[in-house]
Amino acid sequence: MWKSLVAAVALLAVSGSAHAASAVNKDAQTRTLVVTEGGSKTELALAGGETVEFCQNGCFVTLPNGDLEALTGSETIEISGGVARIK
Amino acid sequence: MNAFAARESPIHMFFRLLRLILVLALVVSAPLSFEAVAQGVGQAPAGLVADQQKIIQGLTTKTDNFEKQIQQDGVDDGSLVDIRLQLEELSRQSLNSALAFRTRLGEINSRLEQLGPPPAAGQPAEPDIVSAEREGLTSEKAEINAVIAQAQTLSIRISGLIDQIGNMRSALFRNLLTKRYVLSDALSPQVFSDARDEFDNFYKAVSSWLSFAIKFKFQAILAATFVALGLALVLLVGGRRLFGRVFEADSTNEDPSYLSRLSVAFWSTLLPTLAVAAFLGSTIFFFNYYNVLRGDIGLFLNALATVIGVVFCVNRLTNAALEPRLPNWRLIPVETGPARWLVRLTTAMAVVISFNTFLSVVNDKMGSPLSLTIARSFVATIIVGVILILMAMLRPFKARDGSWRPWPAWLRYTSLGLGLFTIIAALLGYIGLALFVSLQVVVTGTALITAYIGFLSAQAIGEESAFANTSVGRWLSANSSYEDTALDQLGLVVSIAINVMIVLVFLPLILLMWGFQPGDIEAWAYKLATGINIGSVTISVTGILSGIVVFVIGYFLTRWFQGWLDGSVMARGKVDTGVRNSIRLAVGYAGVALAALVGISAAGIDLSSLALVAGALSLGIGFGLQNVVSNFVSGLILLAERPFKVGDWIVAGDVSGTVKKISVRATEIETFQRQSVILPNSNLINNAVGNWTHRNKLGRIDIKVGVAYGSDVKQVHAVLLDIARSHPLVLKNPEPFVLFSNFGAAALEFEIRVFLADVMNGNVVQNDVRFAVLERFDDQHIEIPSTPRAVVEARTHVAWPTDDDKIEADFAEQAEAKAQAEAEAKRQAKSGRKTRKPDPD
Repeated sequence: MWKSLVAAVALLAVSGSAHAASAVNKDAQTRTLVVTEGGSKTELALAGGETVEFCQNGCFVTLPNGDLEALTGSETIEISGGVARIK
Repeated sequence: MNAFAARESPIHMFFRLLRLILVLALVVSAPLSFEAVAQGVGQAPAGLVADQQKIIQGLTTKTDNFEKQIQQDGVDDGSLVDIRLQLEELSRQSLNSALAFRTRLGEINSRLEQLGPPPAAGQPAEPDIVSAEREGLTSEKAEINAVIAQAQTLSIRISGLIDQIGNMRSALFRNLLTKRYVLSDALSPQVFSDARDEFDNFYKAVSSWLSFAIKFKFQAILAATFVALGLALVLLVGGRRLFGRVFEADSTNEDPSYLSRLSVAFWSTLLPTLAVAAFLGSTIFFFNYYNVLRGDIGLFLNALATVIGVVFCVNRLTNAALEPRLPNWRLIPVETGPARWLVRLTTAMAVVISFNTFLSVVNDKMGSPLSLTIARSFVATIIVGVILILMAMLRPFKARDGSWRPWPAWLRYTSLGLGLFTIIAALLGYIGLALFVSLQVVVTGTALITAYIGFLSAQAIGEESAFANTSVGRWLSANSSYEDTALDQLGLVVSIAINVMIVLVFLPLILLMWGFQPGDIEAWAYKLATGINIGSVTISVTGILSGIVVFVIGYFLTRWFQGWLDGSVMARGKVDTGVRNSIRLAVGYAGVALAALVGISAAGIDLSSLALVAGALSLGIGFGLQNVVSNFVSGLILLAERPFKVGDWIVAGDVSGTVKKISVRATEIETFQRQSVILPNSNLINNAVGNWTHRNKLGRIDIKVGVAYGSDVKQVHAVLLDIARSHPLVLKNPEPFVLFSNFGAAALEFEIRVFLADVMNGNVVQNDVRFAVLERFDDQHIEIPSTPRAVVEARTHVAWPTDDDKIEADFAEQAEAKAQAEAEAKRQAKSGRKTRKPDPD
């Protein structure tokens, strides 16, 4: 009983990927996002069709069109046709 | 010396701990409120840019202030942590204010898309209104981007400051531990005059306050003291009333159980300490309330109250654990003399450390010279070191031969080492280090011992049938319907809960004592609650807990709904029991599945990732769990189709019996021999199932009767029909029928066919009919032929002979003869042994 409970909780814990923003690049070309998180700026290059998870505790993102956006860390950014949309 | 003060004041720590608990409670509800704020901010369209710009400017000013504070000299550890927490909050706020633009940005972008790009050169010009709108939108977008960029810069800057604070704090701590003071300066005769001056100052401050208080606030003081005393008395007396039995050690009890010893130790520490704390706390509260306190006196009084409380608590704890007067009630089995010494030494240590803490507050407030602080700390650490060494040298146990035995080696050497270390560090001038170590020894030691006793009690409660013997267990068994086994399991749960509680309380406490700041622990708790990232996976305690809670709530809601639907709605609607059962089960399964799904999503688990797991497992399920799945689906079909219901008499293959329970994998059937047969549902779906009581309980039973050739068959027919008709359980319609079924080899064969309203009564009716047939045939001289297969001679008992005297005489004769024969044999054996000569070699 206890063992199965622990196993279930562990499974839930492991499969729970809750709070992270993800970015999906639906274009064929590589798109670049500039992510500012925890005091440092990093460039996040997304190859065509790639999905990346980033930004667990809130961050700022510069989208391909130059817009600057703030993320709480639960959004999904979808890039298609060079235009990024936040969902 | 600021750093000393920060680490030395337990009252600060207490309040921080309180705050920490509050924050922990808040953190649980944090994710919800966070989103609510974000949404609320998102709906402010007009003047949005100006508003947020103002907010960000405010945040920037605050950050500037914090930066200045950090760069000041002599900033202490506690305030650094405070600043860090506030900076983190600022960072969140700046992010939030940037988030406020999201909807507006989306609107602008989609509008710009609708407007399309500006016409290229050579193309016809667009209307002015369009270009004006595009320009307006673009410039607004630029403004918004500028504001967000400000927020971004701010958050980068705050991150930098937080890093800086981390570095500064570790440097401060290093400095505290490694700073060396020149003792010869501090320990010169000058110190004595300094001390006298300071004492004079302190005396003056206190006496002036006292005279002020007595002159102007005498009644207030009296009132405050009496109210506080009353409160403490109520607590103490009420506690004694409530826990009186477990509170006092009973000296007449020769062999108290470990659990009762523990509970006595616990309550006799807790209640008086609480009473004293209530008294001191309420005294200070009422003094504050009546404005009796002036200037620094409040701080002194706070410190004094803490000192008294700590010393009292330590004294009570050691007394309770060692019980110098009652050897039977000791938690640690040391001898009486050493126990008395241990209590004295521990109390002395607590007094020294607490007094030193009190003096440090006084020093701090009076602005006394550094040398005085050093001298005071030096003396205190040396005393603590000596006490530690004395404790290590103590021989607390008695061996069987009466000699005294020391502590176990590890304990002795640890204590000895700590004592020597403290003394040597103090002698070398590392006062900060020595004080840190001695404070840790006292405080961490107390916390560890208390936690250890708590663990022991949890273990004792968790033992078999221990919980039922506690007062709570006795109360429960008297006032509720719990069985012994349930109580035992409850005891196990309680013991686990106690363990968890101890960890939750003492881990932060010990971390605090080790110089971690409450801010650190808050940050860890926050992280733990909102999720730790391992790779791309987030483990979130609150998520999992809320998921479990949601599932449990859903489960109980389902059970309640099921009960309500079954008991109130369907029972009153006169719904058939089979339908009721099916609906109840279906609702139960659906509800549990729904609760599980909601729970999983409340735990923040992406169902798509579960789908991945399910996909991987489906192949395995297809092969390995084929039967289970097929039974499961069959169970669902059984519930929907209802070929039988609970209570039906069914025949499935070799099994015939009453259906007891239809569950999702198998159906339980009870045969008429009261054997429970668990039949997998797929068997019931794939094979033919006979149901005697499907639509109604009407059933026919056949009874065969043979009569001898030559009988009057008409008469036989009439007699049989009469018998069938006259039985009260036999239905009139359909009519009973007697079939002349066969000219058999040895008999003319008849069959009585009767219908019964309840086929379950078949056996009774058959019996009655057969008895009646035999009786009537006897009367009417109708023969029932039988074909003898084997001739069996009936065995009759040999009659008991009646001549008792003769048997007695015979028996006596036989017994005598036997006895004579034995005696003869013995004699022969003896004489034989005598006459026989020993064998030659």
